[in-house]
Amino acid sequence: MFLTSVILVLQEILEAALLLSMLLLVTRLIESGNKGLIANRTWIWSALACGVLLAWSYALYMPVIAEWFDYVGQEVTNAACQLLTIVLLLVFIYGIKNQVELPGSAHTLVASFCLIVVVALAIMREGSEIVLYLRGIMGQPEAVSPVLLGAALATGIGVSCGILLYYLLIALKRHIALRVALVLLAFFAGNMASQAVLLLTQADWAPYTSQVWDSSALLPEYSVAGQLLYALVGYEATPSLLQLAAYVGAFLMIAASPVFRSAWFRQDLV
Amino acid sequence: MTSIRKFLILAIVATLILFNFIAALRGYQSSMFEAETLFDNQLLDLSRLVSNLDESRINGEFRLGNNVAFQIWDNDQLVAASFHAPQDLITPLLGGFEYSNFEGYRWRTYTRHDDVRNRWVIVAERTDLRFILAENVVLESISPILVGIPIVGLVIWVVVSFGLSPLTQLSSQLGRKKVGDLSPIELRQTPSELEPVLQSVNGFINRLSLALEREKRFSADAAHELRTPISALKIQLHNLQQELGTKSDAFVDLQQGVERMQHLVEQLLSLYRSTPDQFAAECRSVDLHEITQDVVARYYPMIEAREQSLELEGERCLISGDRFALETLITNLLSNAGKYTHAGGNIRLKISSAESGAQLVVEDDGPGISNEERHRVFDRFYRTGNSGSKATGCGLGLTIVKHIADLHGAHVTVEDSSFGRGVAFRVAFPGAGA
Amino acid sequence: MRKFSFMMMSLLAGTVSAAVPEFELHIRDHLFFPATLDVPAETKIRLMILNEDDTPEEFESYELNREKVIPGKSRTVIFIGPLKPGEYPFFGEFYPKTAQGKVIAR
Repeated sequence: MFLTSVILVLQEILEAALLLSMLLLVTRLIESGNKGLIANRTWIWSALACGVLLAWSYALYMPVIAEWFDYVGQEVTNAACQLLTIVLLLVFIYGIKNQVELPGSAHTLVASFCLIVVVALAIMREGSEIVLYLRGIMGQPEAVSPVLLGAALATGIGVSCGILLYYLLIALKRHIALRVALVLLAFFAGNMASQAVLLLTQADWAPYTSQVWDSSALLPEYSVAGQLLYALVGYEATPSLLQLAAYVGAFLMIAASPVFRSAWFRQDLV
Repeated sequence: MTSIRKFLILAIVATLILFNFIAALRGYQSSMFEAETLFDNQLLDLSRLVSNLDESRINGEFRLGNNVAFQIWDNDQLVAASFHAPQDLITPLLGGFEYSNFEGYRWRTYTRHDDVRNRWVIVAERTDLRFILAENVVLESISPILVGIPIVGLVIWVVVSFGLSPLTQLSSQLGRKKVGDLSPIELRQTPSELEPVLQSVNGFINRLSLALEREKRFSADAAHELRTPISALKIQLHNLQQELGTKSDAFVDLQQGVERMQHLVEQLLSLYRSTPDQFAAECRSVDLHEITQDVVARYYPMIEAREQSLELEGERCLISGDRFALETLITNLLSNAGKYTHAGGNIRLKISSAESGAQLVVEDDGPGISNEERHRVFDRFYRTGNSGSKATGCGLGLTIVKHIADLHGAHVTVEDSSFGRGVAFRVAFPGAGA
Repeated sequence: MRKFSFMMMSLLAGTVSAAVPEFELHIRDHLFFPATLDVPAETKIRLMILNEDDTPEEFESYELNREKVIPGKSRTVIFIGPLKPGEYPFFGEFYPKTAQGKVIAR
């Protein structure tokens, strides 16, 4: 029960923690050149609170949602959330300007809104599974303590990874850190797109496409490195053609943004 | 900017958690693997035991406990079984360890062929139960790592805070420094990393205070050196007047110019005479009322000449201070009031003593000072816009007042006069407790 | 909405509901029944999973590339395949010690 709980919670926490530290890094690095974009960090707390609330409600209504669209409601809802995440991420990234923004301006409000919803949706998708699992476990008294112990251990590892990634990147030169953070965000968007396609295929809403490669022998998805790579860049051992296309598409959309290009080619924007 | 303390605590605790927890996880995995092997060996022993049983004595009544079951098969015929084993084959007869689902549970099975009696023996153990058993033992050993982390975090917090305390001390001492406080910074303990910082900061402070001291001494020396030639000048002027016999306008202007120069030099001298070190030595208990009376008596002719009325309110009031300095303070305030108030105006001096300390107020019904100018009147060589050309002065009088008040720990404020127009200067001396 | 989903399906998949074979998988006491599921190879399959436990379970298979939470006392559908012949293990991620099974495509 302990190891199950560790693996389950770690998968979910790691993804959310890495996303949060990347977004924090991007806002902070841009802030130092562009005062007042997201002047304070209150959006984190709003995002965490919204995320936990959404995760709880999503888990609560899961039995109902799961029956939508002839029993594929879960896949469709998750895919919709992932697509919305990509859209909001694009709005945020494309909205970064070279002007000094006053806190409370319309642009700042839109940016904070995007960040809050992106993080809240990530917590909702990942957290609802944990909530369902823990609620199920609470009915088995002998399993409670190993599971909670495992959940605490996994939370510790996941949050620590997020903190260390943040400090590791912040220690780099600013333009290098910004490049890495933006590339990781682009990978995240690619991962979201690929997952959405996979879920829609699972629900038979998207067509089956042939498998592009099989690296499961080389680097299995369930290995520690596989899990870490999945959380960081969306590693998939057996992706389908459509998944790969969606991944590359979302990546390129982030990469085409002005802030990404200027961070990479050292123009004057950031 | 990021806080060093936050960075150190978070980064250290995160690294500790990451490595300790991953180590705990590895420990869990290897311990569980060992436990699994142990349980498998037990199952193997059980199979040997079962194969040596005499099947006639079993008859489905043989109880082994809930977690294990066995079957003995002889040519597709179930010869014997434990009481809760099913009647059909629980796992394919392949020999060795296997997993199988029956009776609503998942079992670890071991099949062996008994070559002596030429039959198959299957023993099975419930995976969920043996797993829980093993896990409880293993978790007992790794849970202290988890429980210990909050304590470790607390210790790191305390250690980091302690380690950064010289830095905090340095920044708070620098932040608390008052204007004009040029004493060197001292830390309780100076770590070697801060030694160069402290040395260069104290070096700067020292050079600054030497430079200021030189400036003061230069002014004081210059003023002192100027006194003799000015006195000589005055005598020569007096002699000149005797010789000429008449007083032409040009001569009066010259005389006034020399008077003004003498006044400036005297003021400069009194400004720099009272340095904090000298002052502390000359401090004794004096009566503020008596000093004020003396000054008024000395100054009265000038008041009378301008037909101004002067009131002195208050009574004996002891404060700790330097008599000469206080005389200068009162003279400056009084001459200011006399100078700027029109002929026939009113001047009032009030002395009051309260629990919070003695207060001296000098007010007039002159033109007053606008609010914008009030904070600048104590600046050196500053003169108010409406001072006009008639009033002689060098712009040092109030600077000296402020300087002397500061030496006494007193506070000077500019207020509205109670005459309805004009200005009031309030000097609040600290109370006996201060 | 169902009509819309049907249209999407036919539009994207290009298969107008060509009688997708359906299979059932039960979850009882954190075990899969049947633990071994024989399915035809090279065909898309509609897998109906019925969770008879009170507790939720997560159907997960790295080989099939599928993952889905099934709340307690409820049913759900997963489409798998077309599969190449071979064995595809799956497990219940919430109770992996007991909930183990495999799909065999032939």
